[in-house]
Amino acid sequence: MYCANCGVKLADTEQRCPLCGTEAYHPDIERPEVDPLYPKDFVPKSVLSKTTIHIIIFTLFLIPIFVCLYADLYINRCITWSAYVSLSVSISYIIIVLPSWFRRPTPAVFVPLDFFLIALLLQYINYATGGDWFLTLAFPLITYLGIMVTAASVLLYYLKKGHLYVIGAFFIAMGFYMDIIELFLMVTFKVSFDGWSLYPMIPLVIIGLGMIAIAISRNAKAILARKLHF
Amino acid sequence: MKDIKRFKWFKLDNAAKIYPASHSRSWSNLFRLSATLYEDVDLKVLEQAVKNTIPRFPSMAAKLKQGLFWYYLQPVDEPPAILAEYSYPLAHMTKKEMRECAFRVIVYRKRIAVEFFHALTDGTGGLIFLKTLVAEYLELKHEIEIPCEFGILSRKERPKHYETEDSFLKNAASVKETRKDTNAWHIDGTPEPDAFLNITNFQMSSDKIWHLAHEKNVSVNTYLTAVMMKAILNLQLELIKNPKKYKPVKVLVPINLRPIFNSKTLRNFALYTIPELDPRLGYYTLDEIINIVHHKVGTYATQKNMSKMIQTNVADEKLLILRIVPLFVKNFVMKMVFNSVGEKKSCLSFSNLGQVRLPEIMRKYIERVDFILGPQAQAPYNCSSYTYRDILNVTFSRDIKEARLETYFFRELQALGIEVTVQSNQR
Repeated sequence: MYCANCGVKLADTEQRCPLCGTEAYHPDIERPEVDPLYPKDFVPKSVLSKTTIHIIIFTLFLIPIFVCLYADLYINRCITWSAYVSLSVSISYIIIVLPSWFRRPTPAVFVPLDFFLIALLLQYINYATGGDWFLTLAFPLITYLGIMVTAASVLLYYLKKGHLYVIGAFFIAMGFYMDIIELFLMVTFKVSFDGWSLYPMIPLVIIGLGMIAIAISRNAKAILARKLHF
Repeated sequence: MKDIKRFKWFKLDNAAKIYPASHSRSWSNLFRLSATLYEDVDLKVLEQAVKNTIPRFPSMAAKLKQGLFWYYLQPVDEPPAILAEYSYPLAHMTKKEMRECAFRVIVYRKRIAVEFFHALTDGTGGLIFLKTLVAEYLELKHEIEIPCEFGILSRKERPKHYETEDSFLKNAASVKETRKDTNAWHIDGTPEPDAFLNITNFQMSSDKIWHLAHEKNVSVNTYLTAVMMKAILNLQLELIKNPKKYKPVKVLVPINLRPIFNSKTLRNFALYTIPELDPRLGYYTLDEIINIVHHKVGTYATQKNMSKMIQTNVADEKLLILRIVPLFVKNFVMKMVFNSVGEKKSCLSFSNLGQVRLPEIMRKYIERVDFILGPQAQAPYNCSSYTYRDILNVTFSRDIKEARLETYFFRELQALGIEVTVQSNQR
């Protein structure tokens, strides 16, 4: 039997063409049953499987948590500072390692989850230190940042084109983020407006607008390619 | 008794010295030879055949041991257990396995396969082992007598001294050849996540290729190497869009030194030559490539030139500073040299074992013979060819997913009017 796509003659062992992957099937051709060249689905067990590696990394993350909890309990007879360490290490694990448990981790799930956990940690620190800054400062700031980063990472992950638009828009959003930071600082700590946020905001917005302009204009792309070639 | 004493241990031969050092967690330098019978293999008989055969090959049926300054080979005490076939050949051999036995005997239905760590022997030596093992098996199984010809050794004889000698040391010239060479283009692809090795085997009529090669007055090996180089060239032109980024297409062609130096060793005794095309200079026709390969091999594969190349390697081995440092330092240095230079000089090896000849009485029992090289350490391909029963086999091994080079090679053969049957172990 011949491959319908690339024309190579297929041995009777082949269900698909080994060169192009085309299914080997013809209603009029009966193929004899033969042993495959090698047994199917029998591969050596890896000494260090993925699960083993994950268990090792998990254990490595557990060590600082236990050491700190033990030291804290031994010295203070209650959990004080070690809670910060434990929560931070746990959240780091979720941010850095957890996605690798999955074959195709989607940013639509993991990025908002990360920001949600960071918000929870901040809420705890606020509560434990008797602060009064979570609702009026940390929560709105982390929410805004979370939404922006999620939107950008999801768009960059799923879109095949138009990355420059997304990055440009993200820069503009970050520019306004500076203003929002100053605004909430004023509300929370009752400081007066001195306009520092304008300094990072203006260049960020200009860079963002520039990127969008380049993305829109083919001419600009051509000019840049000409002027900046190396 | 004297003979047994003599074969208690062996120094690694000159070519083998680099192999244990370059061994890594993901790469072990193995090759496989196998014979497929017309009937299922009888495991009990094969166990006995292995037991009878290995004393004849003390340097090949060996384990890799560690000394203070060098590795060495020690004949195995017990015949190794016969293993079952995985979904792919040449599965990774760990250092621990090598310490117990540096070769494997694998059975899959009708097929008897032997996989060697390259430090034990080369393709020619391995083929002699396989032929002798299968001859012993057939003699036991069918109670026939197989003559000791075409490389089959008598199991009744004792191993000979000249079979275990390091022929490199004997045949080195007094001058060295330079090692300077350009780096070659390396084929890229998506690595197989679980070290799966894809095997693609092409079968074609050897007569047809023989006629094509003789029309051009070159050998089949030269002709096939040229076709392979053209396939790699075309693949590079397709994948690399910017002509400034083209890199030389180079194929490493191993040369069996035994006929050149009249040696009968069963250890490694092969060197290579690397014909080269530079795509930056323009496109090459098949005739041009054939010409390049033919003359390159012709000028390089001479006794004088090869002895000069041997001296390049032997001189390094004899360097006092290298000899007196402990093995772990040596390993570190050799690994670094291997990683930085080792296999950057060619796109792949294309090893031609030539015509596999067997006594008439054995041919009745053996349907096919296979020869497979493991991929290179830093490049995903290797390729071998051999002829058995007027069928020429070309077998690719690759540890990436894409079968691009195979497709290009097939297209070249198709353009030459050669009908090819393809077989693989695809998942």
